Amino acid sequence: MVEPQNRLSIKALKVWRISAVIKVVIEWSITSVVVLLLNIFNGPDWISITLIILGVIFTFLHIFLFPTLRWKRWRYEVRAEEIELQEGFFIRSRTLIPMVRVQHVDTVQGPILRKYKLASIIVHTAATAHEIPALEETEAEELRFSISKLARVAEDDV
Amino acid sequence: MMSKPKRLHPIAMLGYMGKRIKSFILPIIAFTFSVTRDSGRPLVYALIVSFVAAIFIFITSFVSWLRYTYKLEHDELRIEEGIFVRKKRYIPYERIQSIDFSEGMLQRLFGLVKVQIETAGGSGADEAEAVLSAISKEEAQLIQEYAATAEGNGTMEVKDVTEGRPIYKISTRQLLILSVTSGGVGVVISAVLALLSQVDDLIPFKKLTSGFEKWIASGLLFIAILVFFGLFLAWVIALIGTMLKYANFKVIKINSDLVITQGLIEKRQITIPLKRIQAIRISENMVRQFLGYATVYVESAGGSSTNQEGSKVTLIPIVKLNQIQSIIEPELDEYLVPDSFTPLPKRAIWRYIFRKWYIAVPIVIVSLIFLKTWGLLSIILLGAMTLWAVLIYKSAGWMLTEQQLALRYGAFIRNTVLMKKNKIQSLEIRESYFQQQRELGTIEAFVKSGAGGAGGKVIDMEKGDIEKIYDWYSRDKEKRDSSEK
Repeated sequence: MVEPQNRLSIKALKVWRISAVIKVVIEWSITSVVVLLLNIFNGPDWISITLIILGVIFTFLHIFLFPTLRWKRWRYEVRAEEIELQEGFFIRSRTLIPMVRVQHVDTVQGPILRKYKLASIIVHTAATAHEIPALEETEAEELRFSISKLARVAEDDV
Repeated sequence: MMSKPKRLHPIAMLGYMGKRIKSFILPIIAFTFSVTRDSGRPLVYALIVSFVAAIFIFITSFVSWLRYTYKLEHDELRIEEGIFVRKKRYIPYERIQSIDFSEGMLQRLFGLVKVQIETAGGSGADEAEAVLSAISKEEAQLIQEYAATAEGNGTMEVKDVTEGRPIYKISTRQLLILSVTSGGVGVVISAVLALLSQVDDLIPFKKLTSGFEKWIASGLLFIAILVFFGLFLAWVIALIGTMLKYANFKVIKINSDLVITQGLIEKRQITIPLKRIQAIRISENMVRQFLGYATVYVESAGGSSTNQEGSKVTLIPIVKLNQIQSIIEPELDEYLVPDSFTPLPKRAIWRYIFRKWYIAVPIVIVSLIFLKTWGLLSIILLGAMTLWAVLIYKSAGWMLTEQQLALRYGAFIRNTVLMKKNKIQSLEIRESYFQQQRELGTIEAFVKSGAGGAGGKVIDMEKGDIEKIYDWYSRDKEKRDSSEK
């Protein structure tokens, strides 16, 4: 099957890495407390060593590997009558949302996204919600506008 | 046409009291125990505590009743309630998805009805959007008329159950089958237990020599019999409950609404506009599968997230599988009950079995290590899980027609969901790494049901079939293909 056309902003990679760093810092602080406690109470060394090795692997995966894979895979396309999304690197998924089913569109922007002038779009249907993360601010704004316009135009054939 | 704010019938207070007693009874008992344990005169304290609690419950129930008012404005229903937190809720008539009348014992005694009003929004609360727990029948009819006028079909006449076209009426035979098979797995378990207790009698516990062992054996037998009778009793109670609930079950069509009435002691009447129906679900538990019977539900846009009654409405409690089409065809003509389903590819069965083994194999290994020979018994678990997996694999399937996608899945309860193309809210296809290796995939379709979504999901379908369904659902297929160039 043909892949959808559009990619996310390349800056998404940076944003994802920053939020991964935050996640990893929290992980490490928990790990270090556990290792410290194990040391104080003379726990077996192999637990501490395993924890640290796992920590290093997680750090690598979350900061370096996953964002790249995720970005490479993420595609979207907004056509006159439907929105198509493609995401996920281990479990690949593709989603179709007909315009007539779109109830409303939100743009959301966390602090990190704002710093990089990015924004996410959330498309709501009556039953589901779908996020397109990390688009250029202007692009997100345009997309939100055009989706809600197309959603209004699309004729309900119920 | 403004109207004055009205109160519920004073009998509603009893309902409030009942609810409060139910939620306070345990804390009160616990409190009484903790207070009385250390004192010399437990009875006096217990009486004082219960008295205070009774007065508190009485007063708050009275105030709740006093504060609860409703008002029929020309375009909306306004409800105000709350003791400490005042809540105002305005419901425009045109937003009303369904109105549900029910008469419990209390309501029947005074000729009242309980009215539950559902809107598409759904507040996520545990009840319908608006519950008028006790109002006169005339008032209830008035609300329904207002809602019916706003619905835009211009029909002002009161929905009288005697007119309208009958669609389905439960027969005594069907009611019996429904009640007997409603336990599903429970029936099977109690039947097996009954058999086992017979076997217990045959297997020679009496030959055991030691008196002590004999005592244990008879004790075990006693417990087994007790458990069996307990289950049997629970089953009989459930059976009677089902009978009372579904007695006089009747579906009729009035204008463009389906009106369902049911119940012997507590009467219910549910009105669902045909256009609000989002999908049809046919559900068969194991016993019914064996007998060729099924239950038909409609997914409707009404109802809140946790109140399933509003969104999943029983359309036909029990019917022969092959009669469903002829019953629903005149009213819901777009829906087709497929005669056959496309099964999953043979290679998918291994994925179904492996998925169950992920759980079973570690248990088997652990019990083999720790329980030694007795651990071999866990092989039974492995066998059961495998059987279960095969069952799920066998029941999965799909069928595509021009306007409808039918998905079938489940194990002990087999579900068949019929979804029309224009009622599917979104469609998702997925493939994990392992599915990719075998060219399999998962498909999931979402329809609106109550506040959230519902739908159907089939795992490990042929990849080509999944793409076929994806193309069928895509509205811009040509553009997708042309962008390939």
